[in-house]
Amino acid sequence: MKDAVAERIPMHSLQMDEADHKLVSLLRQDGRMPFKTLAEKTGLTENTVRSRLRRLEEQDLLRVVAVTDFEAAGFSLMLAVGVQVEGRSAAEVAADLANFPEVFSVCQVVGSHDIECLMVAEDQEAVSQLITQRLAAVPGVRRLLPAMAIDVLKNQPNWVLFDKSRTAEGKDA
Amino acid sequence: MSKRRLDELDQKIVEVLAEDARTSNRKIAAELGVTEGTVRGRIKRMEDEGQIRITAVTNIDHLRNPTLAYIWIEVDSAAEVKAVAQALADTPQIGFVAVTLGRFDILAITLVQNNGQLADFLNTKVSVIPGVRRTECSLGVTFVKHDYRMSKILG
Repeated sequence: MKDAVAERIPMHSLQMDEADHKLVSLLRQDGRMPFKTLAEKTGLTENTVRSRLRRLEEQDLLRVVAVTDFEAAGFSLMLAVGVQVEGRSAAEVAADLANFPEVFSVCQVVGSHDIECLMVAEDQEAVSQLITQRLAAVPGVRRLLPAMAIDVLKNQPNWVLFDKSRTAEGKDA
Repeated sequence: MSKRRLDELDQKIVEVLAEDARTSNRKIAAELGVTEGTVRGRIKRMEDEGQIRITAVTNIDHLRNPTLAYIWIEVDSAAEVKAVAQALADTPQIGFVAVTLGRFDILAITLVQNNGQLADFLNTKVSVIPGVRRTECSLGVTFVKHDYRMSKILG
């Protein structure tokens, strides 16, 4: 019942049993599913559903949230950009890149690049500004190798970072 | 196909829902000084038009050594890109697939626990797709940021 993307990765401890996974899976499909329906579909009582969800939220394991389509937020382009770093630690550069609100995902990696970022932009002019001026000016950035996403076929934000993801502000306006 | 942009009230509602989407319409209405019916109608419209999706997200820190694998794929011929991307999107273990211009033809992202799992995944799930010529991977060391509020909502 655990979702497929994470099925090969064990959890730290037995924080979620089968019923929890079932609840999460139902809420991934419809985050506003009423407690009553959740109870019917899992065979648990409504009170048990409530207390289980409260526990998962208190353990900072689960959040039910609204995810916004980047186009509806005013961004028409998505890019995946590889970053090569020189003269500074990749961790420091990654932390700086994470401060850009349009850069919605940052991961320090090993491979032909040191950091992989996903970002959005309003239009071509904004891409130019973002890549050739703002990101290029971050100390330690040697090369930026962008790929423009022309067709996103799948984007499931299921297992995500919690607290740090709330730092981005502003550009949704 | 471009989507309608959220207006100011939509955005205010989404701000609340992005923190806790199970907040009652009544509470949101009171907070924003609009009627409960307006809140309900706005949320329904945003969901129906694919501007927002209300979903459960789970904390990656609760997994043991989760490693993001960015799989960059070069396809044999340009005409096959779409079909290869679709086959990748149909693979349940892959969470993100985009056809790209530039670096490679396709980017696919999955989670693995280690190099061995990645190699096994590439051999059994990716390289076997007809049209895949070559792959190159970036393997995550530290996941620094992911703003889950931003996504591409499909279908």
